[in-house]
Amino acid sequence: MYPFWEVPFFTSGMVIALIATFHILPCHLATGAFWFIVYVERKAYKEKRPELLEFVKKYTLLILIFCFVIGSLSGVGIWYAATVASPRGISGLIHNYVWGWATEWVFFIIEIASIYVYYYTLGKIDPKSHLMMGWLYAWAAWISMIIITGILAFMLTSGKWVESGGFFDGFFNQTYWPQLLTRTAFMFCIAGVYAAIVASTLTKKKVRKELVRTAGLWGVLGMVAGVVFAYWYLHKLPAHAKELWIDQSLPYLAHLLKIAIIAYAIVMAWFVICCLVKPKLAGPITGIVILFVLFMGIGAGEGFREGVRRPYIIDQYMYGNQIVARDIPAKHIKAEVPIFEKDGFLTHLYFKPDKIDPKNSRDLLKAGELIVHHQCGNCHALDRFGKIRPLSKLLENLAPESPEDIEGFLEALGDYPFMPPFAGNDLDKKAASEYLFSITRR
Amino acid sequence: MDLATYLNVMRDPSGLPFYPIVFQFLLVLTFTLHIIMVNLVVGSTFLAIWELWKKNEYGLRLAKALGRVLTVGMSIAIVLGVAPLLFVQVIYDPFWYTATTLSAFWALLFLVVITLAFYAGYGFYLGNRNADVNSAKTGWALVAAGLLLCTALFIHMLSMEQLMPQHWKEWIVAANGTVSYSGGEFHGLELGRLLHILIPSFAVTGVFLMLYAAYFDKREDYDPKYLEYVGHKGAWMAFWASAIAIGAGFWWLGLIPKEFHFARNPLFLVGAALGVVTTAYIGASLYKPKEKAINCALFMFLTIFVMSCAREALRMKHMSQAGYSIYNYPVNADWPSTILFFATFVMGLFVLYFPAVAAFQAGKVKAGEVATLDPSLGKKAVGAMIGWFVIVAGLGIIVSLKNGVLF
Repeated sequence: MYPFWEVPFFTSGMVIALIATFHILPCHLATGAFWFIVYVERKAYKEKRPELLEFVKKYTLLILIFCFVIGSLSGVGIWYAATVASPRGISGLIHNYVWGWATEWVFFIIEIASIYVYYYTLGKIDPKSHLMMGWLYAWAAWISMIIITGILAFMLTSGKWVESGGFFDGFFNQTYWPQLLTRTAFMFCIAGVYAAIVASTLTKKKVRKELVRTAGLWGVLGMVAGVVFAYWYLHKLPAHAKELWIDQSLPYLAHLLKIAIIAYAIVMAWFVICCLVKPKLAGPITGIVILFVLFMGIGAGEGFREGVRRPYIIDQYMYGNQIVARDIPAKHIKAEVPIFEKDGFLTHLYFKPDKIDPKNSRDLLKAGELIVHHQCGNCHALDRFGKIRPLSKLLENLAPESPEDIEGFLEALGDYPFMPPFAGNDLDKKAASEYLFSITRR
Repeated sequence: MDLATYLNVMRDPSGLPFYPIVFQFLLVLTFTLHIIMVNLVVGSTFLAIWELWKKNEYGLRLAKALGRVLTVGMSIAIVLGVAPLLFVQVIYDPFWYTATTLSAFWALLFLVVITLAFYAGYGFYLGNRNADVNSAKTGWALVAAGLLLCTALFIHMLSMEQLMPQHWKEWIVAANGTVSYSGGEFHGLELGRLLHILIPSFAVTGVFLMLYAAYFDKREDYDPKYLEYVGHKGAWMAFWASAIAIGAGFWWLGLIPKEFHFARNPLFLVGAALGVVTTAYIGASLYKPKEKAINCALFMFLTIFVMSCAREALRMKHMSQAGYSIYNYPVNADWPSTILFFATFVMGLFVLYFPAVAAFQAGKVKAGEVATLDPSLGKKAVGAMIGWFVIVAGLGIIVSLKNGVLF
């Protein structure tokens, strides 16, 4: 196993979650905005209304400054965060989908070339060619979504990949299409929010009102389509995921869904009231409030997607603690739990003290600390004042009276539908129990 | 478990989806493109500050142009950087993941710092768009320059730590057996190597200025004296920076373990020879910067590419010492996805011709004039994208139906 990085209070997994949620706003804006911009630019040429081009210029600059700074860097940020928080997880994705990411990279290059040329050549090349540049960007950006959705969907439902090991079998799995269509619909909604904000700052009143309304209409249509596809998406979740959510094995999933629904209702109301009915009300202030609501809604939605995947980080293949869950014969991969049960987990660790004497109680605690960090620390805060599934508090709820009580709990860990089994031999279990008992009594 | 066992066990159990040498070639090629853009960004930032300090019209005009280069270049550098970051994780995964996890704090701080540098760059560019000689400000560019140097330091450290696997364990496992989980390790500063990466920034920027002068030479609304000023400055800067970079290269060479005999490595020898030839060629072009700009750029690209190959050879030396070779990485070749990438790559080159021509022609017309492009260019580019979508979506539907997962 790679070295473990501990984030006090919040867990390293939460670092990825925060960056990923933050990434969605600029990246969905980047994918959705140009369909709207091209629509407006086309209208400007067709109806001979050059005043609409002020919006085109302003909106594109926003995308450049926001999406191509925050969006691209937070995208890289997810990789970095995943690298330090779950190196074997991201490695598993990369070694199966490197050509997918490399293909997406080609479209990133097209995106960046076309958006800069689009921005800097407005009024400097003929309108038809300029419009084509906008189309080029719109397609490149959406295709990048088509690709990354396949990798995200693979994490949630790995499909026939577990049998064949084939790239496309994992990519086009049962949640791919509904997830792609849901994201596509909501990208128009996010683009609509930003478009309304930018349009509300235009100098000409008539244009301002018209574009705010148009942005609102795009937003509403995106929201309506989004909810239909989201329903299909939820319907396509595997039985195991539904058990966690509908059967309340993990009650927080239902709460997350409620937050997402409330955020949805608020954004929808904003589109209808502040954009369609009273466009005067749409402005940077209400817009920023709505962006915050969107952020919360997206965070809840993505948290739900991550939650229903438990106990895996890659469905069926790798547990959240980065241990390989099953054989994948097509790739000559062996499940690791039986190996660790046979050899002991510590035998497979490189970053450990040279000598650990299990008869020495201090050494036993150190061994337990190592095992618990590697097997529990990805999802559970290990410090006393931890905020994310704090292990000490969770164990206190079980009121263990001795390390043996915890040992029994570890024995049954795999029976919980959302928990990976304990991966180690009896001595590992004893060491982990001693350590866990020690942190419940701090 | 010893180090060699650890490195080989930690290779991803899925193996590689294609042959390692292909990933290695793509790694070096994309790294070359990335580092050229990084050099251009760093060089442009420092030069913009210098030009503004001089408080003259030409300096101001050049600084404004460099402000645009700084922001656009940083975007391109980041996107180009995604590819080598991807490929290094594929073939050098045990090194990349271990070093980055050991220095997790710094790896994430890098992201914060580069974001701030980006915005400082925009602050400089947008803040000075309408400035005159007296009102132009260097503050944001100074901030950007400082932050860019910090990012260079962080990435240098992360690269160096990958080359020091024999020290990893002692960094986080204390003598008393305590294991650190802080992710705060910061090791491996090697000034010669860092300077050999940074000093070429001025050489690359110098060649860029030569190209700039050559490109705008035919524009009637560009003052010929200004272009002469830019071309001349570029050529001299490229010459001196290349010469100093050679010196830094030899300093770095002196820091490389003797047992590698790297001074005899063919890639290093070719790279060093090309460095000398390029410097000499730029030296011979000092008074003809516009005429020789393209040749100088080609020489510069070739030198950086071969030096990137030499850097890769050095990495392999370090890693073979630890018992690791990418050439025996297990391969589970996946032809369909490999074809997907290479076909898309070729299509991408075809598509990029359109924005390249548009940018080139837009820059060739006077301010206020409009360039008219061949209408088929845009149609073909967009058509290629739609074609890609139709093929992949069709493939997806067939696969989904075959696997019974669509409905």
